[in-house]
Amino acid sequence: MEKVLDIVATETNGKCYTSFRYCADEEIRVPTLDFDTKDKEISVVVREFGETDTDLNTSKNLKLLANKIINDEPLFQFFLDGSRRTYKVDDIEINRNVYPIIAGQIGVACCQRINASQFKSVKDGFEHNLVLSLPKAANPNGGDSTLFFNALTSKVNKTKRIEKAGINFSKILSYDSKKQDDGKKYEHLGIATIQDEMIETEKKIVAYLSTKNLIRHDRYLIKDGSLQYKPMRTGDFRELTRIKNHYKCAVGISKMFNPELCQDRTGKSNADKIAKLPLYHRTPAMKYKSEIVGNVFFAIWYVRIRETERTSSPFSGVLKLEKILITDDELENGLNSEEVDLITANIINERNPVCYGTDSRWANHLYPVYLTESFIKSKYLSDLNFLNLF
Amino acid sequence: MKKIGKIIATEKVPTTVDEFFFWTDKHLVLKPFDVVKVEHIRSSVTFGVVEEISHLTDGASFLAGYISSDFGEVEAKSNTQRIGMNYVKAKVVANSQNIYTPVLDGYTVSLANEEDVKQALGLKDIKNPLPCGVIEMYEDEDKITVPVHFNSHFLIGPEGAHLNISGISGLASKTSYAMFLLKAIQEQYIKNNPNESVAFVLLNVKGRDLLAIDETNDELTKEDKQVYKDLDIDVSPFKNVKYFYPYSKDVRTTTYADVKDVASQKKLNKAFQYKYLFEDDKESLDLLFSNIDDPTQSMESIVNYIISGEGVFNGVRNWEELKDEIKKHQEKGDTGKDKTISVLSWRKFYRLFRKTLERNKDLFSNSIKKENAEVRLQDSIKQIKKNDIHVIDIAKLDEESQGFVFGDVMRAIYDLKLGQITDREESEIPSKVVIFIDELNKYGSKDVPKNSPILRQLLDITERGRSLGIILFAAEQFKSDIHDRVKGNCATHAYGRTNAIEISKPDYQFVPPVYKSMLTRLKQGEYILQNPVFRSLLNIKFPRPLYKQFKNG
Repeated sequence: MEKVLDIVATETNGKCYTSFRYCADEEIRVPTLDFDTKDKEISVVVREFGETDTDLNTSKNLKLLANKIINDEPLFQFFLDGSRRTYKVDDIEINRNVYPIIAGQIGVACCQRINASQFKSVKDGFEHNLVLSLPKAANPNGGDSTLFFNALTSKVNKTKRIEKAGINFSKILSYDSKKQDDGKKYEHLGIATIQDEMIETEKKIVAYLSTKNLIRHDRYLIKDGSLQYKPMRTGDFRELTRIKNHYKCAVGISKMFNPELCQDRTGKSNADKIAKLPLYHRTPAMKYKSEIVGNVFFAIWYVRIRETERTSSPFSGVLKLEKILITDDELENGLNSEEVDLITANIINERNPVCYGTDSRWANHLYPVYLTESFIKSKYLSDLNFLNLF
Repeated sequence: MKKIGKIIATEKVPTTVDEFFFWTDKHLVLKPFDVVKVEHIRSSVTFGVVEEISHLTDGASFLAGYISSDFGEVEAKSNTQRIGMNYVKAKVVANSQNIYTPVLDGYTVSLANEEDVKQALGLKDIKNPLPCGVIEMYEDEDKITVPVHFNSHFLIGPEGAHLNISGISGLASKTSYAMFLLKAIQEQYIKNNPNESVAFVLLNVKGRDLLAIDETNDELTKEDKQVYKDLDIDVSPFKNVKYFYPYSKDVRTTTYADVKDVASQKKLNKAFQYKYLFEDDKESLDLLFSNIDDPTQSMESIVNYIISGEGVFNGVRNWEELKDEIKKHQEKGDTGKDKTISVLSWRKFYRLFRKTLERNKDLFSNSIKKENAEVRLQDSIKQIKKNDIHVIDIAKLDEESQGFVFGDVMRAIYDLKLGQITDREESEIPSKVVIFIDELNKYGSKDVPKNSPILRQLLDITERGRSLGIILFAAEQFKSDIHDRVKGNCATHAYGRTNAIEISKPDYQFVPPVYKSMLTRLKQGEYILQNPVFRSLLNIKFPRPLYKQFKNG
């Protein structure tokens, strides 16, 4: 029976080494922006306020507001998460160079909380894609590689092994096969393409939710991770500036952030202030612009949802919240402070239940996001099963 | 039918030939014994009976629950409830095409309808159907009621025989259930079975329980009547009933029945008073000592000595003379007695015999006046006709006399069925005789001396009665007390409500844990049945009795 890798080798005039296959992921999922980005590029502070209340200099307690609204309909009804699992399936020799073949499973899901006890996956809000990532040099013809990789995808999907399993690869991605100067590994480049594909899928689903009017001013979306998407070279959603209107009612929540990069309006590090942030307090929102994203401004603030004494480090229990500034008014004056408070209070009310015991990041995790993540993972093919497709 | 969940098979908990697991919504009400059906390969359907229901969340530990309430804040509220579901363990009972490979992961599970339930539990196309109650399944709009029938050949022979009912007093209504079955049997035989016939001998051991079984129960509700109609049982009390009270000049001293009732029953020619005559009944003397521990068998020797008329006992003609003779034997210096039996044994024998005789002076009598409705019990039983019910009241007798009467009744039935009666045509004798006795533990418990003649008689009936047509319906509080061979030979077992100590005994080892705890919660009128025809244990309900109930016993 012809194998997937045989086809890849034949079509690319390469030679497969049948090397050891393994799952390339680390135990903890790598945060969204870890690849080919330099630390200093993540967020650049603009010396302006990110919210309308300019008197707030230290922090603000939102427990009272949170208590007041606990019996109301929660603001957040939709939860979006994306995840991918990558594998190094083989090495391939093309023109005397050896490149890794990277494969991946990408899962993106949006779940809706209908009421406290009903949590469902949104219809058409779930995607599970299998992809391969090959070096650009794999295209033997030169010219437009898209056509070549598309044709290769359908050939791969016609192998008996894949057909029998009732699955198919949605895309073959390609990574740069030029010699990398700064010691970057091809493997990482391959993984990065899969990561990009995941982000693309996330954007697609947010656009779907927004155009279908599912997310609106009283039914917000929580997106797991940062909203600072870097522009892509391809795809329908390549630039955030063009699609930012879909994010009117979306908040990005990061469990993990680099405290060294936290700066206040004056450009000084405020990592200590965040570490000392009292329980249920939020920092003032600051206005940021990200170089990698382009001409998009964000309001970013932090909130502590767990007591420092109960957590393992000063930063666990603190969440980083991001919202894109969209209207002219927002761009000029920052987010309305009332909205910032309301979002924060709602986040505080999302603190329970916890996934203590099942996820080491429990102190920073929000349960509905955790459920969405679990839902995606439950849909993955097992590593063993996936690796044996090749 | 309503779909309720899907099969789950995991690495650690796979589905097997015997059982499977499925998830359901946490708000769906199911209960143990409910039947569910699962789609299976080759368009077949596998049926399962619910055994256990568990609720599960993704909480990794109790601690996660505590932390999720803001580290122990009882008032803490959350926007999302922890994700949770119920998972159900079910036992495979049938497959529509006899395919017993394990059901497959992800297949749909649904509720069953009446036809499905019958197919699943083996209640469909039962031969010789005999109603034994109804099964109620599911809740609210899904609720279904399914009439259940035994194959009578497995209850009263010839395939299987004897019924054992256990359960604690009052709450289990053992007598009511036995009577419900007896009513169904009597009716079936009157209606449908011209070739076979049955007669019943019931022993009334408590108050006035069975002393008005041919009178109607005015307190029967509409629902009860409907259940009887559904089961095709006539809503009327028992027919052809005769009552036998222990004889005494003042009826009140030997029975709990109302004097007027006894008199009116006598007038209608359906009540009699029984007596024991020395000449005819001395052979049964051994029954008086059945519960006495007799390791040296000296009591037995004395009984044999008397019965065989050795020595002076040859000339004894009545109970009083017998007592006097025995008295002489236990006195010192008597030279005429048998040297092999010690004086001490005679003394013990005398003490016990005198006690019984003095307590029941009238019962142990010298003659019978037939015009006064006086009878000898053995004679009456040996004349029992088809579809007759003989109720023998022993409730107010002392324990020794109760045993004596019961043993005597069993012997009479044994003689009748063994063809020892010369004055009756074989065709006139009922082909089956059902004996019902409550408080079996008095006669058939593990503690009863091994050489007890009543126990021997009981063992004879349970082990050989099926082929002779003698069927024992027995009830007791605690099944674990009963002699292994007595209960082991019963084809049908009915378990009523019992207590936690009882279910920890080895008798209940085969019962799944959830059913065990259900046994401690069963309501009045609810039983768990075990019968060779049924594929699993059944949780059945039965209506209130059709005959008159005495509130104060």
